[in-house]
Amino acid sequence: MKSLHVLLSITLASIVILTIAPHIGLANNTDPAIASHILLQIRIPRVLLAFIIGAGLALCGLVFQAMFHNPLATPFTLGVASGASLGAALAVFFGLSFTFIGMDSTSFLAFIGALTTISFVYCISRFGGGFSTEVLLLTGIAVSFFFSSLILLTQYLSDITGSFRILRWLMGNLSIIGYNDIWRILPVVSVVTVLVFFFRRDLNLLAAGDDIAMSRGVSVKKLRYVLFFSTSICIGAIVALCGPIGFVGMMVPHICRLLIGNDHRWLIPASCLFGGAFLILCDGIGRLVIAPAEIPVGVITTLLGGPFFLWLLIRARTHRP
Amino acid sequence: MLQTNHLNVHIAQKKCLDDINLQFNTHDYLCVIGPNGAGKSTLLKSLMGIGAASKGSITISGKPLEKISQKELARNISYVAQSHNQHLDFTVADFIKMARYPHHNIFSTWTTDDQVAFDSALFMTDTEAFTDRQIPSLSGGECQRVMIAAALCQQTPFLLLDEPTSFLDPRHQVEVHQLIQNLNQKHKISIIEVTHDINHAIQHSLHILALKEGKVFWKGRSTDFLASSTLSKIYNQEFVILKHPETGQNIALTSEQV
Repeated sequence: MKSLHVLLSITLASIVILTIAPHIGLANNTDPAIASHILLQIRIPRVLLAFIIGAGLALCGLVFQAMFHNPLATPFTLGVASGASLGAALAVFFGLSFTFIGMDSTSFLAFIGALTTISFVYCISRFGGGFSTEVLLLTGIAVSFFFSSLILLTQYLSDITGSFRILRWLMGNLSIIGYNDIWRILPVVSVVTVLVFFFRRDLNLLAAGDDIAMSRGVSVKKLRYVLFFSTSICIGAIVALCGPIGFVGMMVPHICRLLIGNDHRWLIPASCLFGGAFLILCDGIGRLVIAPAEIPVGVITTLLGGPFFLWLLIRARTHRP
Repeated sequence: MLQTNHLNVHIAQKKCLDDINLQFNTHDYLCVIGPNGAGKSTLLKSLMGIGAASKGSITISGKPLEKISQKELARNISYVAQSHNQHLDFTVADFIKMARYPHHNIFSTWTTDDQVAFDSALFMTDTEAFTDRQIPSLSGGECQRVMIAAALCQQTPFLLLDEPTSFLDPRHQVEVHQLIQNLNQKHKISIIEVTHDINHAIQHSLHILALKEGKVFWKGRSTDFLASSTLSKIYNQEFVILKHPETGQNIALTSEQV
């Protein structure tokens, strides 16, 4: 019953945040027609997008943590973000401009970059001693470093405008106009959420260890494969749209575990709601702190995420028997 | 019936199981003994479809293992591993309930059948008292009983146990031994147990399989085991056979224990 109460509180809190957030910072001396246009075409889409993206990032982080029994395993630590960033950087560098299935050139190359990286990391770790957490994490980190230096190189070789555009993309961005992007990302995130929720029992067993999961009847390899690639596509789509917004996928599932326990039946909805609300808050902070200028949302999440990462490391050290 | 034909398993180029031919009938109780590294745990894992790829065949009621889904396998065989993760962050009740997984699909909910299986698993293992506790807070003996309870909650005709009484104090060892015997005799569950407790194997099990260096060294009825005088050859250790002063049964002690 405790879990139910916690989930209800999280739901309530996110509904409150969802309703209040679009109204914060709206100037009240403007023409009501303009104000309502800003609210409907800019503020509400932005808050909705933040919610969907936050939910998706948290969900994918949760799945990776359960799959690899490691709080540090997120799609981001496995190099997806850097792959996507490299794709976006290359699109800017070569001045590509086209639209493909609704994505502009930067998003499209970012999406391709994300998927290529995750497949690459997957293949490398399969050849290098199985699908184990350590191999996967280390491969992801190595790939991240390599891609980061390539991004730096493209930035260095670009002109000043290109260089700034790449830098701005790397900081994450939630500002959209209208609802087109929302209709594009919502199906991806919802399908993956439903899929993951179907596997809630499997995820509980997977978190208990591979041998236990298999002896209870989970086809561990097949499950890993399905979850790994579906969450990777989800993350790829998110990063392509909004840039790399780091640490949400690592922090939110963790906080939810502390609040609601380790049962994925509760953790999945809790992480989605909490992640969505959390990203709305981070974006709100970014908009208000140095208003009328904005701090990119990726900067805020990373500023919060860095200390959190350290806290996790220290906590893991002190809790180890 | 469980059957293996020419079962070979290699782990990292080392031959762990070498041409194992085993026939295991329902309602049987088989103890697998042998020195460390003889392949006992590997055998159990192979039967459960866990771990390294194997050559040869394993069949369950005549159906080859490759043609059985992991879920169907888990409706036939349950397995209690040797070392269990004490960091399992679940309550005892949640952990045991999770064992109903093979009887569910993605849409199904908790049924009365599930509840009956759960309640009887708790009853048989005498674990009702600590269902609300977290697994890491349990003692070794309590944890072992919870692991067995979870396997029982799975309601399978076959139960594989890997050294269920190692690390337990004598009283808890006796408890677990009695529980296993009870499961076999009263509840007609077929049991394969890996053990280092030779006297327990002789006394309680119906058949003994001795493995050494991945090969079958001896197999037969438990009552014939001591008479075959293979014990010292299996372990490269001298044993002394004595009569139990109360029951009159033969028991084996290492030469050092005498």
